[in-house]
Amino acid sequence: MSIKSYDVVIIGAGITGTMTAFQIAKYSLKTAVVEAGIDVASGSTRANSAIVHAGYDAKEGTLKALLNVKGCDMMAQITAQLGVHYKKCGSLVIGFTAKDLEKLKKLKERGETNGVKGLRILTRSELLKMEPNVSKDAKHALYAPSAGIVCPYDLAYAVAENSASNGTDYYFEYKVDKIEYDGKHYTVCAGNQKIKAKYVVNAAGCYADEIAKMIDDDLPFEIIPRRGEYMLLDKREGKAAKHTIFVTPNEKGKGILVSPTVDGNIIVGPNANIVDSKADTSVTEDGLDEISKGARIIMPQINLGAVITTFAGVRPTPTSGDFYIQESKKCKNFIHVAGIESPGLASAPAVSEYVVDILKKCGLTLRKKRSYIETRTPNGNCKLFYEMTERERKQAIKNDPRYAKMICRCEMVTEGDIINAINRPISAHTVDMVKRRTRAGMGRCQGAHCRTKVAEIIAKELNIDISEVKKFSSNSNLLLGKTK
Amino acid sequence: MKKKLVIIGSGPSGLVCAMTAVKCGIPASDIIVLERENELGGTLNQCIHTGYLKNLTGTELGSNLIKAVKKLGIECRTETCVLSLTSDKVLTVISPKAGYVKIQAEAVILATGCREQSRGVLSIGGTRPAGVLSAGAAQRYINIEGYMPGRKTVVVGSTEIAFIVARRMAIEGGKVITVVEPKGAPLGDKKYIKECLRPFNIPFKLNHNVTKIYGKERIEAVEICQLDKKGKPIKKTKQKIECDSLVYSCGYTPDVDIAIDAGIRIKRDTKGPFTKRNFETTISGIFASGNAHYIHKNIDKIIKESVAVAESVAKYLQKSNQPKKEKKNEDNAHVNSENKE
Repeated sequence: MSIKSYDVVIIGAGITGTMTAFQIAKYSLKTAVVEAGIDVASGSTRANSAIVHAGYDAKEGTLKALLNVKGCDMMAQITAQLGVHYKKCGSLVIGFTAKDLEKLKKLKERGETNGVKGLRILTRSELLKMEPNVSKDAKHALYAPSAGIVCPYDLAYAVAENSASNGTDYYFEYKVDKIEYDGKHYTVCAGNQKIKAKYVVNAAGCYADEIAKMIDDDLPFEIIPRRGEYMLLDKREGKAAKHTIFVTPNEKGKGILVSPTVDGNIIVGPNANIVDSKADTSVTEDGLDEISKGARIIMPQINLGAVITTFAGVRPTPTSGDFYIQESKKCKNFIHVAGIESPGLASAPAVSEYVVDILKKCGLTLRKKRSYIETRTPNGNCKLFYEMTERERKQAIKNDPRYAKMICRCEMVTEGDIINAINRPISAHTVDMVKRRTRAGMGRCQGAHCRTKVAEIIAKELNIDISEVKKFSSNSNLLLGKTK
Repeated sequence: MKKKLVIIGSGPSGLVCAMTAVKCGIPASDIIVLERENELGGTLNQCIHTGYLKNLTGTELGSNLIKAVKKLGIECRTETCVLSLTSDKVLTVISPKAGYVKIQAEAVILATGCREQSRGVLSIGGTRPAGVLSAGAAQRYINIEGYMPGRKTVVVGSTEIAFIVARRMAIEGGKVITVVEPKGAPLGDKKYIKECLRPFNIPFKLNHNVTKIYGKERIEAVEICQLDKKGKPIKKTKQKIECDSLVYSCGYTPDVDIAIDAGIRIKRDTKGPFTKRNFETTISGIFASGNAHYIHKNIDKIIKESVAVAESVAKYLQKSNQPKKEKKNEDNAHVNSENKE
């Protein structure tokens, strides 16, 4: 059996891995991304606060500070190019006491040192004008106009689809268990499957330490899995907050936030609890209580009765406190991109450029591709029906009447949208994959109404029996065989 | 397109409204019924159990109503979704057959029915694997698709549909381990406990809730816990029960998305539109009927109301088509008595 050979293999299809693939896809190189999960953004990228942090949190002089501010600056261009929803809504850190004000001033100074523009301390009346629902006990706030919001998996899909359209190969459910090195080439193995590469990028998120061990390397820090729980509120509450609102940070971190999302919901969370398992994305009653309390400190009148879903994500927290992006000290041409916790989403564009620079220094030849596709797919950015103008809707229906067949009324998702998602460069072949690409089932009824129909469409389009359709991964069948 | 009366939804309420409207003198050619699904009949299509009117099954009642409406020559469009409704009663609708269409209506009846609430399962801790589904979805899989969503099931919530689905799964050879209800009394009519649970030896527990879901890919077990008087779990009563599915049925809420987007005011208690005594919402000429108005106890009440709604609409259309006299708003002075806040 011949083993497929690549210039670069990226381990991990989270935001860091896919963004790196996106940067590399501009050049004439053979690249592969291998992912243990069934889809892009299966780990930390799937469940986080969806915030593009401005960059005032990270300690001066750290890699985090540098890449956060730069990544935040790059976000507008990338999201515009790929048709990803991104909103520069600005963030507010509110303070209740004189002590808080001191902290806010320090945070402002730090931000300015890091290169964050436009930071301003607001008075109570300025704050209440901008956020009428915020606690009346708040006395000051640090305003960062450059902070924003973006959907993390939508961004990951966009960059992954772009790189796939430009020739990057994606391998899913490829759980790397062994890496061999012959002094020239790496063989990245997952069970019986093997691929070869000259360069490897370790962007395995929570599992980056385990990947490092496979080449007998040890990261100079530990990766602690920290779980954050969230609640998402109905779109009808979407106007409750206009900015991402934090409380003044303490030794435990940035704390619980209340923020609008790009899709018009309100997100509340996260807490930060160390968990035993890197895969423990369960929510707990106590955790939900904790974030409810936190949210009410920011916004006492917040309508938590309008919660439409709860979820949790695990972040790879490095004990060192900073991002670690370096060539392995043990093996040449093996780049670790580890400890990418918050603000990993905001930093991702800058992180990926930084990685490409390292690859270049290692000797990788970068020659621009002649026929580079700028958009998500060769057919453009695949606007969804709900995003279209009236004229675009009429045209879409004319071209394909399935765009006139409504499947998810909550989020206005049509059969056309779903079929498009199934047939895109990285095919959505499970119900959750369709959901995250189209929003079908993400509304107030959470798929009670449309999940069956989405399963029917997947079955029809892929020519399989409906009982073979999965919720997300291999063993998550929706149905258990025929009735009598 | 122009129509005197547009009815949104072809469940029992929409169909009865259409039939009655013709009886009240609105020409059939001036009426159109819009249905989002592939078939007319709404939820009736998946209700193969009896108990409708004179002990018909849901599907029988549905097919009778559809026949009657078609016989009257009323146009019914399936696979047709209303994207928006304005206060001037302009509807934007899409369908694969007719494409993108605007309809100017003189009167509109919202007969969009209701949705299942998912709120009850949101506070349950644990993971979110496959095999957690609403009673309505389970019913659809079994009765329409012919597939079993689970074979070892726990049911949380006690609406009538919860009981009926539990029975349906038992009939199909599945095991329903237990039905639990967090409150102190069942949400649905008690006669269903006798008819649906007892013959199949399905235990029913009040003051119990599912407190945790286990399973990474497909559900593997749930934790069930007794609740104290304040509704808090009594920790020592925790019990882990193996299962391959969790069916929830925590009540219904009127489907009012179109109404809200149109700017119609919604009542806090019923979660349906505010209506006057003549079933007119806060926008003149737009009426609400059936479960879209508020959640009704049973089908008889829906049908009775739908008849009354159509009669009111006929009166409204007569009035608005008369040469303009001084408008008398006697109907507007009162709030529907059954629907007081």
